[in-house]
Amino acid sequence: MMRLREVALYRIILMAVVGVLCLMDNMPVWAMGAAVPQLQPAQDKPCVRDPAWMRRNHPEFLRQKRDLTVREGVRVRNESLARCATCHQDRAQFCDRCHQYAGVDPNCFTCHNYVHTP
Amino acid sequence: MMDRRAVLGLGGAVAVGTLLAPGIRLLAAPQPSSSSVPNKTEALATQRWAMLIDVNKCSADCSSCIAACREENHVPMFGDADRDIHWIRKVELRDRERRKPTLSLPALCNHCEHPPCVHVCPTGASFIRKDGLVLIDEHRCIGCRYCIIACPYKSRSLVYFSTQMPIGGNPKIPIRAKGVVEKCTFCVHRIDEGLQPACVEACSRSGGGAMLFGDLNDPKTEISQRVKMLRTEVMREDLGLKPHVHYQGL
Repeated sequence: MMRLREVALYRIILMAVVGVLCLMDNMPVWAMGAAVPQLQPAQDKPCVRDPAWMRRNHPEFLRQKRDLTVREGVRVRNESLARCATCHQDRAQFCDRCHQYAGVDPNCFTCHNYVHTP
Repeated sequence: MMDRRAVLGLGGAVAVGTLLAPGIRLLAAPQPSSSSVPNKTEALATQRWAMLIDVNKCSADCSSCIAACREENHVPMFGDADRDIHWIRKVELRDRERRKPTLSLPALCNHCEHPPCVHVCPTGASFIRKDGLVLIDEHRCIGCRYCIIACPYKSRSLVYFSTQMPIGGNPKIPIRAKGVVEKCTFCVHRIDEGLQPACVEACSRSGGGAMLFGDLNDPKTEISQRVKMLRTEVMREDLGLKPHVHYQGL
């Protein structure tokens, strides 16, 4: 009985250590106690969806649209990634700051250009 | 074709309008610079994009299609003949007995009806779009290169090195991730806007006008009439892949 408990304790310690090491690798900024970044406000027009909804759902929104566009050829021009850049003009001030804060590293921009194309 | 597009766009606009929740304002459908393009377009299963190349009009010293393709899709060149990427190439056909003159013609992805590259793809990255285009979903490509081996036309290339966006490169085309396979897309981004592929446009502008592109399923298009009326050939018909790049005058 005692041994089982010890094993469980060691296991928890090990998991905690591994967890801390993982976090240190790509530490989200919120973990260091930073304030929520104030993002650059969009240029005058309203967003294609409710901003609060977009804040939570844009990864799925873009991923779903990505698959639809690539595989089914559905192109909705005012909802493309390139259209984001018309209102949120600076990627560093918009996408990157929040991604850094949340500690996520989406790889959209390793290939895609964040430039508005008409 | 344009009528269908227009109707589809209208349908899309109505659908979007009805889907909106109350209180959420949709960004007014922006007018792109070419205002004829509707906001929403979709590939149609009734279409079958194909190309017809008149070999007699293609001269050996012209390579405007290749230059246009490289510019439009900023296809990277690495300076290594084994690893350079070619979406479209010029090939020479020589008659062994020298009874026929040597022919020069462009070779590109044939967008087969039964593509072996799609058949062997383990991740589903290679696929046939509804309108017959054989495309690569580079988000899913793991770079295994089965498709390169399977393609009898040598149309596919692996991106061996990381690439940079060239200065003045077309922003509509993403740069390539290292380690994915790519090939001719028939300029799918242009087709979806109702334009011709860049090579076809360049051929009619500064080449011999040898290339013709259109919907093979629409009996009104020039290409479907010419494929029907003239004797056209495809490369390696014996393989039974039903390629969609037809050649005239081989």
